[in-house]
Amino acid sequence: MDTIAELTLANANATADNCRYCLMCRHVCPVGHVTKVETLTPHGWGLIIASERRGMLEWNEENAEIMYQCADCGTCRANCVTDQPFPDTVARVREELVGLGLAPKGAQDAADRLRKWGNPYEEKAPEAVSGTGDVALFVGDEAAYVRPVGLAAAKTLLEAAGINVVTVGVGRSNGYIASSLGYREVAEEIARANLADILATGAKRVIVLSPGDQYAFTTLYPDRLGVEWPSDVEVVELVSVLAADDSLSFSQGDADSTYTYVDPTHAVRLPDRHDAPRALASRVLGGEAKELFWRKERAHPVGNSALQFSQPEIADKLTWARLEDAKNVGADLIVTEDAGTLAQLDTHASRFGVEVRGLYELLAASLDR
Amino acid sequence: MTAGLQSEMIRSELEDVVGEHFISTRDTDRAIYATDWSWMAQMWLDRGEKLTLPDYIVHPGTVEEVSALLQIANSYRIPVIPFGGGSGTQGSALPLHGGIMLDTKRLDKILDIDEKSLKVTTQAGIINTQLEWALNEHGLTYPHYPASSNCATMAGFLAARGTGTISTKYGKAEDMVLSMQIVLPNGDIIRTPAVPNHSSGPDFGRIFLGAEGTMGVITEATMQIDYLPDVRLFRALLFDDLSKALEAGRRMMTRRLDPLVIRLYDEQSTRTRVREILGYEMEGAYMVIGFDGYEDIATLQEQKALEICADLGAKDLGREPGEAWWEHRYDFYYPPKNLKLPWMYGTTETVTTFDKIETLYHAKKAAVEDNYGDWDVSYIGHFSHWYHWGVSLYDRFVIKDPPEDAQECIRLHNRIWSTAVKASLANGGMINDHHGVGIKLGRFTREQYGSAWPLLQDLKRTIDPKGIMNPGKLGFGY
Repeated sequence: MDTIAELTLANANATADNCRYCLMCRHVCPVGHVTKVETLTPHGWGLIIASERRGMLEWNEENAEIMYQCADCGTCRANCVTDQPFPDTVARVREELVGLGLAPKGAQDAADRLRKWGNPYEEKAPEAVSGTGDVALFVGDEAAYVRPVGLAAAKTLLEAAGINVVTVGVGRSNGYIASSLGYREVAEEIARANLADILATGAKRVIVLSPGDQYAFTTLYPDRLGVEWPSDVEVVELVSVLAADDSLSFSQGDADSTYTYVDPTHAVRLPDRHDAPRALASRVLGGEAKELFWRKERAHPVGNSALQFSQPEIADKLTWARLEDAKNVGADLIVTEDAGTLAQLDTHASRFGVEVRGLYELLAASLDR
Repeated sequence: MTAGLQSEMIRSELEDVVGEHFISTRDTDRAIYATDWSWMAQMWLDRGEKLTLPDYIVHPGTVEEVSALLQIANSYRIPVIPFGGGSGTQGSALPLHGGIMLDTKRLDKILDIDEKSLKVTTQAGIINTQLEWALNEHGLTYPHYPASSNCATMAGFLAARGTGTISTKYGKAEDMVLSMQIVLPNGDIIRTPAVPNHSSGPDFGRIFLGAEGTMGVITEATMQIDYLPDVRLFRALLFDDLSKALEAGRRMMTRRLDPLVIRLYDEQSTRTRVREILGYEMEGAYMVIGFDGYEDIATLQEQKALEICADLGAKDLGREPGEAWWEHRYDFYYPPKNLKLPWMYGTTETVTTFDKIETLYHAKKAAVEDNYGDWDVSYIGHFSHWYHWGVSLYDRFVIKDPPEDAQECIRLHNRIWSTAVKASLANGGMINDHHGVGIKLGRFTREQYGSAWPLLQDLKRTIDPKGIMNPGKLGFGY
């Protein structure tokens, strides 16, 4: 019986061979789009991997750096007719680079923090789970540390909806960053800790605050880490819960702003999730959002992928591109719900003359009580 | 091509033009830019052989930068290879002699959308699907839908005289271009007239269409666009006889029914590719027809086409298989569904007039199958781009167990190509319809153009006296 690692390696090599001469996702690759460099597309990365496998090149600092420039955002796979798991392939290759000591310094530092604290943002251990309940709210690290105001708003909304939750994973990563940086054992440890916490609550429903969390639990854990998500525990995004709840009513604010909705990083990995946040935004802001060029099934991420640690320049370019996109459609207000996405946008928004607001905060402030 | 100190001095000069972030001499970048979508280059690498690398990769952001780069290249006589999507199949973007790889993808702006005249002006490096998405938001379309839409660029289409799946109604890229901005090898920036149809002297702009970067760099183009149609109607038919199917297509075209597509697969393709991609098990010649525009007009055109097909004994398969083809028309090109290594394959497509097409098809098929039967060659073809006067034959050969040695492999590949292309030429066909010449077909341009070839060479020498532009392509040498 092949081990999961062996299977993953075989899959990675087969995928690299499939992608090395395929150019069919070049139009959607966000890194290719902001850099315009052929090397920084799935074709380029695939050809590098395939060339290494054939002994045409050896891993070194230069090509390792390039392998860390993929955003691992899932846009290529979401637009691939044959569903090539290219992002998983990149993550698998990064594991090799980590083993060779070729991971960039930023990646190593982030991995050290993840290993020690379970998150890359604060030198603080995750909160222990206290209590049980039918429904758990997975908080994670971004909502806890980079935009806690959004978390408070989310709790207000849940309370208004009459949903009692027990919080889990407060201050702990969902495991994606460690996996994406090539630190599989760290990612797996985090994944197992999250899963243990959730199981300890007895919850059969886990509400998550971002598409990144949903993707991590339902796809990344089994596909990359060999951690099976229990089939009797449902994972659902808070935006879906709220959009489906007719009991909540919101007062509409002034329609002075022309707003747009930014699909959060990883949204592209969940093709059925695009309508819910838009419907919610419309309930408090009125009308329909101006749609970005890079939206829904072709949505580009901002910089809150692993790039923020390993390749901050590219991470910034991705964030600037979203802000530029908003400007180009005439929006002066950006709305989204993911804490990490909001934090990145907020950091650079003033340069582009746009305001950024959290969807959960907007909704909580507009609740009719 | 350059080395050591001189190489660094030139690098600095290029860097002064584009800035430090937009030039690369990294080994990895040079290796990636050394290849394109041509089978030859891919096979060569696949067998562990090395390709010639470009010396510099530059990413100009303005036409002025392109001009300055070409002036430098011209001064030092350094090859310049314009690079768009790299999706060419003939090796046109390969840096055979090293030099400067000029990636146009930073030149990707839409400069103007004219909804009155229905034209769009873009820079050279915009990727087709991105342009299409932008136009769709205005209810418009650039009806150039090649399989390479997701990667190929505007200037790439023009440089290769490319075509798309609905060219039968809307024409090839060369038919849609109104005007272009071009940077000549000496750095001069020129524009062709604003409209293509006039009586104000010769149409010199055509010399840059199909030149594959050997005459200059196309940096901007104004293209004709269209309204998105109210309807697109597709339907599939099955003929038990390829000859009758070709006659049906001829009648539709010569009666000017204006189909946007007539896709006719030969019997072998119907048995293999149609089954593999679309899942239909059929014997005969499978045809998809499509009409678009106002619903009543498209419906009437379709009705007339169906009458023609019925007269010729076709079985009407209905809408679903036609719509399935439209929906999945690009699936043929996604791995692992596509033709792929380690197979040997080549698209030896051609175009000719209706009076010759059937003879040409059978002659090519026989030539390839008879001469390479020992290799268990498979010859498949479809007829996909129709004109008022004729049709292109998109034919391919496939060998699933080719020689392992790279040189032996390329020699066999070239022999099959020679057999196929000579059959095209002997039967009134062109050496190519829409993939271009590159290095693959350069050896046939002299025969194709005969006594006119010296004129083309003179034009090349006049425009590019130092021979810096994409040397080794189109049979021009270096």
